[in-house]
Amino acid sequence: MNKTYQKKHQLWLEILFASFAIEDEAIKSRLYDFSQIAFRHMKWLGEEILAQGDDYNYDRDMMLYKRETVFEVLHGLQNVIQETQSFYPQNILGQRIKTDDAYLLEYIQELLSKEENNKEITAFNMKREWDDLAQDQVDALTLFLFDESYKEYELILVYAYMQARTKNVLHYNIFQDLVDESHFHLKSFGNMMARLGILALPRELHEMTYVVKDLDQFVVDGIAEEEAAKEMCKELSDAIKDEKLSKFFDFINYQESYHIDLMKKLL
Amino acid sequence: MYENVKMPEGMNPEVLEHLMNPKNYGKLDDANGIGVALDEKTKEYVIFYIHLEGETLKNVSFATNGCQDTVVIGSMFSEMIKNNDIEYAKKAIEKMHAKLGEMTPQQKICAELVFTAFIAALKNHDNLQEGKEEELHLLKMKDSCEATNMQEGTSNE
Repeated sequence: MNKTYQKKHQLWLEILFASFAIEDEAIKSRLYDFSQIAFRHMKWLGEEILAQGDDYNYDRDMMLYKRETVFEVLHGLQNVIQETQSFYPQNILGQRIKTDDAYLLEYIQELLSKEENNKEITAFNMKREWDDLAQDQVDALTLFLFDESYKEYELILVYAYMQARTKNVLHYNIFQDLVDESHFHLKSFGNMMARLGILALPRELHEMTYVVKDLDQFVVDGIAEEEAAKEMCKELSDAIKDEKLSKFFDFINYQESYHIDLMKKLL
Repeated sequence: MYENVKMPEGMNPEVLEHLMNPKNYGKLDDANGIGVALDEKTKEYVIFYIHLEGETLKNVSFATNGCQDTVVIGSMFSEMIKNNDIEYAKKAIEKMHAKLGEMTPQQKICAELVFTAFIAALKNHDNLQEGKEEELHLLKMKDSCEATNMQEGTSNE
């Protein structure tokens, strides 16, 4: 069953990063919705695995290929969805997931039937241009996005891992809020990376990162990390001479403040 | 012989490539030496895997929860030492140390985490060769994360 979980984890990332890579707002938004559905599949598969007394991990075996056109991205995604089908369980959950995937495949087929959808993909061209930002500011933004996109991915998976294992309703709800918040941050940062031409998968998580033995210590460390992330956002906001971007990082900064409050409730 | 021993300099295309696609990243299933360097203050760690055949590092890999400087240095260092011998790897660390002065304090800490994890992996390999039972070898970094301040930690954690 861990293999099924891994395949679903990879498919979630494939859909998510296809959404980031494609510029067309309608396709981007639709694929993002499908990625959220895939994430829920992953959550339900994980719950089923644990209920059976088994376990899963976050190991991955995938590459994010540097595609050059929308159709290349969609064909790649189509292949991964089809390859994943045989791994699903033969039960109600498996049927539900297969139905969702079949609908996504139909949507992709519909997109592929219209040549006007086949635009250029610039998400991997490494050009790193952002309006009038000077090079040193683009460098700072680049490092921030690599650091923080990994952090948000890490937080999503760590909180989801703990959520799946808690019996405490308050904790369960707080983990859900934190997962939801990190999804939004990852989406924002992923789309910014694509705009800069530096879209890349976050690094794989090692089990030393997500197998948490001491929740209180984890929360205390997590609060310190949130404080550091707030500081990074503030520094970036101050350094970047772009009003829109600056306001965005202030907005993220204030969100981090509330995460600290949410986390304190776990203690 | 050591012409490929270098440290990341600014945000050039090579560094960007290591950021987008870190080399030798993840677990190594047939590792015969596993080392961890842990910064207890920040909880940042690097875990380094080696597969030694005789004196040759046939395969290496690493993973970290650290920042992107750690990732880039780990990626570059692992590329440098892969398929070379231990002597080469140790000299590469010396040469990279010589270049630490040109780096930011943050990058120095990151570099030390990577090198210390590699040293810990060699220690784990030696311990296993001597018949000791040890899942991995852990070296804890002190406040500054300087290699000279590292202390022996408990293993199997």
